Order: sequence, then C-alpha cells, then structure tokens
Amino acid sequence: MSTPRQYKDLEPDEAYAFKLEDLEEDEMILNMGPQHPSTHGVLRIELKTDGEIVKDAQPHIGYLHRNFEKHAENIDYQGIIPFTDRLDYVGSMGNSLSFAFAGEKLMGIEVNERVQSIRVLTAELQRIASHLLALGTYGLDIGAFTPFLHAFREREKVLDLFEWLCGARLLYNFNWIGGVSHDLPDQWTDRVKVFLDQFEPVIDELHNLLSYNKIFTKRTASIGIIPPELAIGYALTGPNLRGSGIKWDTRKEDPYCGYEKYAFDVPVGQGRFGPIGSCWDRYYVRVEEMRQSVRILRQAIEKLPPEGDVHETVPKRVKPKPGEVYARTEAPRGELGFYIVSDGGLIPMRVKARSPCFVAMSIFREIAKGEMIADMVAIIGSLDIVVGEIDR
Amino acid sequence: MKEYFLDFWDAVSSTATGMAITLRHLFMKNETQQYLSDEKPETRWNSVIVPEGLLQDRSRMRLYVKMEDCIGCLQCEKVCPVDCITISTEKRQKTELPIFAANGQGIKQRVVQFDIDMSLCCYCNLCVYPCPTDCIVMTPEYEFAERDKTNFLYRFAKDKATPPEPPEEKKEAEPVAAG
Repeated sequence: MSTPRQYKDLEPDEAYAFKLEDLEEDEMILNMGPQHPSTHGVLRIELKTDGEIVKDAQPHIGYLHRNFEKHAENIDYQGIIPFTDRLDYVGSMGNSLSFAFAGEKLMGIEVNERVQSIRVLTAELQRIASHLLALGTYGLDIGAFTPFLHAFREREKVLDLFEWLCGARLLYNFNWIGGVSHDLPDQWTDRVKVFLDQFEPVIDELHNLLSYNKIFTKRTASIGIIPPELAIGYALTGPNLRGSGIKWDTRKEDPYCGYEKYAFDVPVGQGRFGPIGSCWDRYYVRVEEMRQSVRILRQAIEKLPPEGDVHETVPKRVKPKPGEVYARTEAPRGELGFYIVSDGGLIPMRVKARSPCFVAMSIFREIAKGEMIADMVAIIGSLDIVVGEIDR
Repeated sequence: MKEYFLDFWDAVSSTATGMAITLRHLFMKNETQQYLSDEKPETRWNSVIVPEGLLQDRSRMRLYVKMEDCIGCLQCEKVCPVDCITISTEKRQKTELPIFAANGQGIKQRVVQFDIDMSLCCYCNLCVYPCPTDCIVMTPEYEFAERDKTNFLYRFAKDKATPPEPPEEKKEAEPVAAG
C-alpha cells in the first residue's frame, strides 16, 4: 500500500516574483489575471508599478496546462493529432499539419500533390480565420468594438467552409500522417473563390475602420517596441518577428507542402507611424498577411490537381523506425515545430512542441518595462498569444 | 502647435471615414441569424457561403451505434484517444442461431456492454474509420445538453451486464425479468 501523494501549497515566495521587502517607496505589486478579460485566456501577470508606470512585469503561466507532451507518450501517433488541435485552438489546421508533417518525415512518406494542395488551401484559410480573430479582439482590447464584428462575420464563413469540408468547426482532426481525412467536396473550391472575392474588399475596409484611425495609431504606434536585435535574440517568429522588420518566413526559407510553387510577398513592419517594431507594426503585418494568403489561395485553387486519392499514402499502422525528427511549419502565430523521438514502437518515446506563443510571451517582460498600465493590454494583444499553446 | 491641430484634424477625418463605413453597413443586408428564430430546426444549417443542404453532410456531433450490426471487434475502443468507449463481449454458443451484420459479416460475439461517455468524447471521428461494419457513426444531432452529468453515459447494449449464465437457465430467467 502506497501512501497517497501529498500536494504542497505554493509558498508565497514561489507564487510571487516580486517581494514586498524589495519594494521602494511608491511602488506597488499589482496582480493582473488570471481571469482578466483581455489576457486572451487564463494568463496571470504580476506588475510592479510606480504610479501608472510599470517598473517590471512577470508573467505566470500554467493555468491551462493539459499535459500534452506527457500524454503524447501514452497514445499512438494517430491519437495525438486530436490533441495537437487543442494546442492553439484557433489555428488547429496549422497544428495538425505540423505534427503530420513531422510524422511523415519520420516515416519517409511522400504525399501526393493533391494532398499538398489541400493542405495549403486549409492552412491558408486557417491563417485568415486566425488573424481575423487576432485583429478583431485586438481592436476590442483597445476599445474599438465595430471591427470585431466585421472580423467575426468573415471568420464565420471560413468556419462554415471547414465544417462543410470535415464536419467540425474548431478542432478538425483533418491532417493525418500520410494524407487528409476528407477529400474536397464538389463546389468547395468555387465557394472558396466566392469567399475570397468578397473578402478582399473587407481588408481595405478593415484598414479604414481601424488601421489608419488616428486614435488607434496614436495608441499603438509608440508602445511595445521590439528592436530587430531583441526580436532575434529572443527567437521570435511569425508576425511578431516580421513586425520588427525582419524578412523571415518559414514558407519562404524552408518550403514545405510545395509553398515554393506559389508567388507571395512577406510583409514586414516599416515603422510608418512610429518606431519600427511597435504594436501597430505587428498589427499591420497580420492584416497584410491575410492579403498574401488570399493570393496563395487563388493560386492553389488554380493549381489543384483534379485527380488523386487523399488516402493514398495513409499507413495502416503508424510504426516508424527508431529515430528522431524535427519538422517545422509556419503556423498563423509563427514557427511551430514538433520534435519526435521514436523507439520503433507504436507510441512515440518523446514529443516536444516548439510553440511560437511561448517564445512571444517570454519577451513580454522585456518590452513591458517603462510602459503604462493601460498599455499592458495593448502589448499582450499585439503579441497575439493563445494560452493553450503556451501551457500545452 | 501646428502638429497639435493637425492631429485633431486627422482624428476627426479618420473617425468620419470609419463612421461612413459603419453607416453603409447599416443599410446592407442583415447577416446575423437568430438561433431557431422561426422555430425551424433546420435554420442552424443555413450558411452565407455554403450551398443549402450541404453543411451537415459530414457533420460530427453525437455518436450513435447500430447495435444489430456490431460484431464486438473492439477496434473503436482501442483507437479512442480519450478512452470514452467501454465494450465487453461474451462468446455466442455454437448452438445458437447464426446472425449476420448488414454487410454479411457473421456475428460471433454477443455485445453485453457498449457504453459511450459523451461527456468525455472529443469528436475526433477516429472510432468511425476502423469499424468493419460501419455500425458506429457520428450524427449531425447537436442538441443534447443534459442537467445531470451521468446522463451522458449512453448504454447502447440492450442486455446490459447480465452475469454469465448457462443458456438453458437464461431462457427461463428472461420472461421473469421482462415482467
């Protein structure tokens, strides 16, 4: 008989990064979260304030921990994919694509061209949906309610297209190791074209509604500045890195799924209303990325091979040889990579996810110093974090 | 000083641009659909972008098992990543009448317990693919909220958890249980 495990309460020292004894005059510790409406999930941030100025900020994570990496060591490869969907729950297609890509690399499977095109179609649609959510809620954090409604109206159409494609609206389990779960239905690409035609004017509308609004630019273009060196130093990826003016996109530098066939630009932040790398730059990069996604989608529909079995290379049992692999893709929030170690069995020995949100959160302490309390929400929103991916 | 007033002008003009867009949308077609507004259950499947009647084709909501087709192969139980399916079987005697599933496969096992805990289900659809007789399916039924959590445990097997008995005695015991 083993004694039941004792769980120790956190000591106050461990729960708080800043100590009362260390405070100087006029300084105060302020707890923000975990149930804060603008922290995009359950994220707790501890602020050391002097009046309205934030002297220091320490994020505390782990409130949405679901034990993904340990759990993945106990289920087979196909069963892990529904769990990867739940990492970044507003960009599920990108997550499962990344894991399926890693599994295929481990097993040496080459998927056919139709599967690749379908994956590009779904990944780019997911990028549009994810950025729409990021932009809409960013406006909401700052205090603009209207763009949120416009963004969600468009996002709803993408979710409807996904539901028609695979039956689920948010957590798809669509990208499998060696293929995709469903072939495209008839008329699907036509309806995607209809969506793109009416979506492109919406981007311009969003610019006029929010991006160039003087109140919005004044509020965001001078805060949360990440200089390019700092961004590289913290290994930021995705729109957060490109907002600092660095042209790096995994789709361009390390192409997968045939991204080298499509012509698209990598938008970078230019410091139009303030210093380069500000919150506004990161916001602007996301809007412009949606325009590039539309470009890729149009080309992918044109180049979609009419024939091809989507289950052609799906293995009966996923049982890779012993070995290890790291595969990365450009998820909506940055470079998402999966590192898998296999010992030749049906279940992986180790799965490690390199998530872009975790990295983006780590830079928060650096850029929050010296800003106002009211700007904390704007900075968190501009980093576009999803707590499900930070905690895993 | 000049910049200060220029900022004023920018703020007013850019806000007016936004207002103009909002005003234009005021006179556009309403896209919000009220849930069950006209008391038709089908309205949930209306979509702006998807043609009518196609949205629910592959919908994955509530699980259903056609028990007369189940051969008790336990494949769905094995593949489930959250272990929400519990099946137990017992061997059918050779003296019993041979029965077959809809696709002609012989049923050698009697399924005495087929429980699905829908509160655990993650709607991943993985249990549907390996089924040899297509007896476990995802249905497009989405309204199944319950007040009590225990009601989510769906018991599909008809004769649930009967203790194993010799077949002769069972024939006598059944009418008593029914009455």
